[in-house]
Amino acid sequence: MSDTTRTSGDWLRQNLPRLVLSPSFAITLFFVYGFILYTAWISMTRSRMLPKLDSFVGFENYGKLWKTLNWQIALDNLAIFGTLYILICGVLGLLLAILLDQKIRAEGFLRTIYLYPMALSFIVTGTAWKWFLNPGLGLEKSMHEWGFHSFSFDWLINPKMAIYTVVIAGVWQTSGFVMAMFLAGLRGIDNEQLKAAQLDGASAFQTYRRIIIPQLRAVFLSAFVVLAHMAIKSYDLVVALTGGGPGNATEVPATFMYSYTFTRNQMGVGAASAMVMLMTIAAIIVPYLYAETREKRHG
Amino acid sequence: MSSLSIRDVHKAYGPTEVLKGIDIDIDSGDFLVLVGPSGCGKSTLLNMIAGLDSITSGEIRIEDKVVNDTHPSERDIAMVFQSYALYPNMNVEKNISFGLEMRRMPRKQRRERVAEVAQMLQIEPLLKRKPSQLSGGQRQRVAMGRALVREPKIFLFDEPLSNLDAKLRVDMRTEIKKLHQRLGSTIVYVTHDQIEAMTLATKIAIMKGGVLQQLGTPAELYNQPANMFVAGFMGSPSMNLIPAELVASDGEPAVRMVRKDESSMLLPVGDNPAYRDWIGKPVILGLRPETITDVGSAEQDSPLLFQGECLIDVTEPTGADVFAIIELNGREVVGRMRASCGAKVGEKLSVVFNMRHAVLFDPQTEGRIG
Repeated sequence: MSDTTRTSGDWLRQNLPRLVLSPSFAITLFFVYGFILYTAWISMTRSRMLPKLDSFVGFENYGKLWKTLNWQIALDNLAIFGTLYILICGVLGLLLAILLDQKIRAEGFLRTIYLYPMALSFIVTGTAWKWFLNPGLGLEKSMHEWGFHSFSFDWLINPKMAIYTVVIAGVWQTSGFVMAMFLAGLRGIDNEQLKAAQLDGASAFQTYRRIIIPQLRAVFLSAFVVLAHMAIKSYDLVVALTGGGPGNATEVPATFMYSYTFTRNQMGVGAASAMVMLMTIAAIIVPYLYAETREKRHG
Repeated sequence: MSSLSIRDVHKAYGPTEVLKGIDIDIDSGDFLVLVGPSGCGKSTLLNMIAGLDSITSGEIRIEDKVVNDTHPSERDIAMVFQSYALYPNMNVEKNISFGLEMRRMPRKQRRERVAEVAQMLQIEPLLKRKPSQLSGGQRQRVAMGRALVREPKIFLFDEPLSNLDAKLRVDMRTEIKKLHQRLGSTIVYVTHDQIEAMTLATKIAIMKGGVLQQLGTPAELYNQPANMFVAGFMGSPSMNLIPAELVASDGEPAVRMVRKDESSMLLPVGDNPAYRDWIGKPVILGLRPETITDVGSAEQDSPLLFQGECLIDVTEPTGADVFAIIELNGREVVGRMRASCGAKVGEKLSVVFNMRHAVLFDPQTEGRIG
């Protein structure tokens, strides 16, 4: 009797981690990887409004996708947005981190202020910036009321400039987070190295350029990966800020995917665009994960 | 010529005073070791000499130039840090030449200097490697190379050997000593290890609680410690400090020692005029373990050898010697015997006390008498 209890207790103890993990494992397997495969299949069918799983057409939808003008616009916009977003966030984040690292007073308070936008959802950020940048409502109106009548800032409704407002809002939201990453990296540098640099006669600028920033390589890589996948996935910010407009001036791959799949009855093409985005993100993240895990195995 | 002079230097962080008026003078070519327990202010003092910490009051001169407000890079010093502080993103060659590059030395000259130093430290095969590919001892050499290449007036070492394993530490210690003898450079070296201090220094400054306890040659500190702290800190095992009464025996000052079996003996401490005033008063007797020996290993030419039977409480063999613990005046006292002296726990042994090197301390002030 007592023997059997002990063995069943042993069995439970040995398998408890597996038991606890298995539901989430099954759910992830089905809803994430299952639906990736499902989407991949749909992208090779002639699905329009509803999935039509038996109408296999091979890569026809991908061909269509690349001939669609909207997709070209979306890619151009992604190129502009992605490049500027990653670049400005990185530079600004590093700059803020360096300034915060000067042993200033109230550092914790300032750090929180810069980090707070990250706590908002992109929808809130987008809406707030929409109001702020709306010429009839926000910055421009206020400036006019203060008497600067020649002041004009109409990027939000200017098709040529609208994508840059997305950059502004995105940078505002994320640069604090990048700052926190860089700050952690800066704090990890041995204080004695800075003293040694001082004795070696390096100026503050030279110390940063020659000694500190080269040591932040891993942080640069992490920041790039985080920002790049956020840029490619960005959907909510664009929807809240410009709704893809004016016209289709701020169309990005994610909004393209949504509208083709769910509102334009082009589910096959939408699924194809989703697969292209997935591949792009995978191309960035998989090598990164590979490098990370390999490093851990070595060290 | 005075190379480094520290005059009445104070350091305070807010209301906490960490250095309370330090005065040290060393000559060119001296090897000064700052030694003391952790928190005694020795590293702070070194950082102040380097210019990495500000001076609250007082004056530091390097070759007669006051450097209180001089930038670290213009003090003509070089420093070896505890963590070596090598730049991990540069290879060994770049690490060594970085300081020269910052001083705008032409590339060709830099190359020559690096090659020279690399040869001296035997790190030529490592020049193209990154610090992460080096062992602890190799990093240590590179860190020294970075200091040597600058040819400064003073080298500063901040506990440079504390990150090495015991064997390597001894090797590097010898190497540093050789280097000092070859180059004749002025060195200030911080350590908490009294053996390092004894072996390396030409002058030791021993500190405690922000106060300089004694400044002198290793022999002076060892044989004439200024107070009980210095006596206890230098030497391993440390000096036996035994409370005793100073009495007159045949007109000569002597201390009374009570053994474990309640029998007492009188040990004359030599006729030092300063002792006369202390006769009949309690003192603290300081005896180094090597002055309490078996009969065979006693210093035969000493005029003050006294013999007595003592009960051995504990023996600690170290291979070459055996440390025997006996009881005198209720205190455990360590003596250093030959391994073959036949000391056995619980048995009596004829012990020789060599009182030539005995010192007496004032129990109140803890300062040395005489």
